[in-house]
Amino acid sequence: MTTPVSPSPDIAVTGVGLVTSAGIGVDATWKGVCEGRPTAARNPLLAGLPVDISCTVPGFSAREHVGRRSSLAHDRFTQLGITAAREAVADAGLDPRNWDGARVGVVVGCGLGGVATWETQHRRMLEKGPEAVSALLIPMLVPNMVAGHLAMDLHATGPNLVTATACASGATAIGTALQLLRDGSCDLVVAGGAEAGVSPLMVTGFAQMGALSRRLDEPSAASRPFDADRDGFVIGEGSGMLVLEREADAHARRARVRARIAGYGASADAYQMTAPDPAGVGVLQALRTALAGAGVMPDEVDHVNAHGTSTPLNDAAEAGALRKLLGEGAAVTSTKGVTGHTLGAAGAIEAVLTVLTVEHGRVPPTANLERQDAEIELDIVAGSPREQKVDVAVSNSFGFGGQNAVLVITAA
Amino acid sequence: MSVMYGRLVDLLVDRFEVDRAEISADTTFEDLDMDSLFLVELLLVIQSEFGVDVGDDAASPGDTITAVADLIERLASAEASA
Repeated sequence: MTTPVSPSPDIAVTGVGLVTSAGIGVDATWKGVCEGRPTAARNPLLAGLPVDISCTVPGFSAREHVGRRSSLAHDRFTQLGITAAREAVADAGLDPRNWDGARVGVVVGCGLGGVATWETQHRRMLEKGPEAVSALLIPMLVPNMVAGHLAMDLHATGPNLVTATACASGATAIGTALQLLRDGSCDLVVAGGAEAGVSPLMVTGFAQMGALSRRLDEPSAASRPFDADRDGFVIGEGSGMLVLEREADAHARRARVRARIAGYGASADAYQMTAPDPAGVGVLQALRTALAGAGVMPDEVDHVNAHGTSTPLNDAAEAGALRKLLGEGAAVTSTKGVTGHTLGAAGAIEAVLTVLTVEHGRVPPTANLERQDAEIELDIVAGSPREQKVDVAVSNSFGFGGQNAVLVITAA
Repeated sequence: MSVMYGRLVDLLVDRFEVDRAEISADTTFEDLDMDSLFLVELLLVIQSEFGVDVGDDAASPGDTITAVADLIERLASAEASA
């Protein structure tokens, strides 16, 4: 039984949660991002590999944050997801013990799943034989378990999905949640992304394909979106979660509305496995769809939280598409200069940061932007945060395989 | 308490991060929030650590730690005398 709703009700963000390399919790991350404080550092886990730097969540104690059972039975990506989701639900002023779980959905983006568990258990099997492989391997490994465990943790028995569109996964999840709320399938959705892909094999894989920065002697300067000297991304981990509900419902329960998810556009480049279409055709299509869905014109966009990975190809292609559609009017930033690239979680973490940007009227700077690439003709915010009113913002996310997801986030 | 009970408690504390204070002779695995999958994992670890061949359905979450320790003891004795 679904609740009849008007064709395109406004969708409110009433709760947010974050776990990133800038800190555990929304406040810690927002502070680090606004300070433009890069978090990339040498990682002992990666010692001896071609790339040994990452943006890792500092001081995350699984036992402390998610309890003994989860610390033993869940991969880190699930633990990060649960931590961020609990913060988002609490921030929304909700108590899962009091809600109708059948009307609550969970949609989480995840690109890789429990890859660290995979590596550890594979090593055990090779070294000690199949008897040494954990009975918990599969439930720790498969990407859908982050949503499954969230359902158990939050008693959310509505639609339960994991989206896998590589580095667009987190934004795809939020877009999917928007649709579930608009079509009346749910009254509330916990949506976001979670990823913990800083494992030796994954980092090596990304290094082998030439995607990672090799600025190993100067890790804090390695992630430098839109800078002329950028040379690749820095892998990160984390989770971002949002509580979404129809705005009328939020008002009815007197919830604080932080911002609105007003539009969503998805597209495929259908071009190449790892490189974006240099003409930006797919990106433009997603941007236009998202803006049209939100009912706003391109010249109304005040701010873009760019995908901005710090790879030479992505940043150039994205900047070209933004310039073509929006001109130079929007204040653009890439928060990956601080957080690194958290893959399947990135779209959700950046959506939360965009919500905060809209709410606070503060555009965070792009860390490490010292000399803007001359071919990137955009108003990139650098150095310090820019205080400005932001009514309409866009959060871009693009994945390998040419999958694009764009969210339009507007002021409440 | 048997030697095996003590070894099992040590295993729960060291490998499954159970607080020692939570465990007594009457404690069940359910009391420790260990469901059937956890128990399969525990039995695999027992097999590996204690060298005792325990079937993966040898115990259920409602069993007490004492009962499972006794079972392992019996299986170990049977294997030793076989």
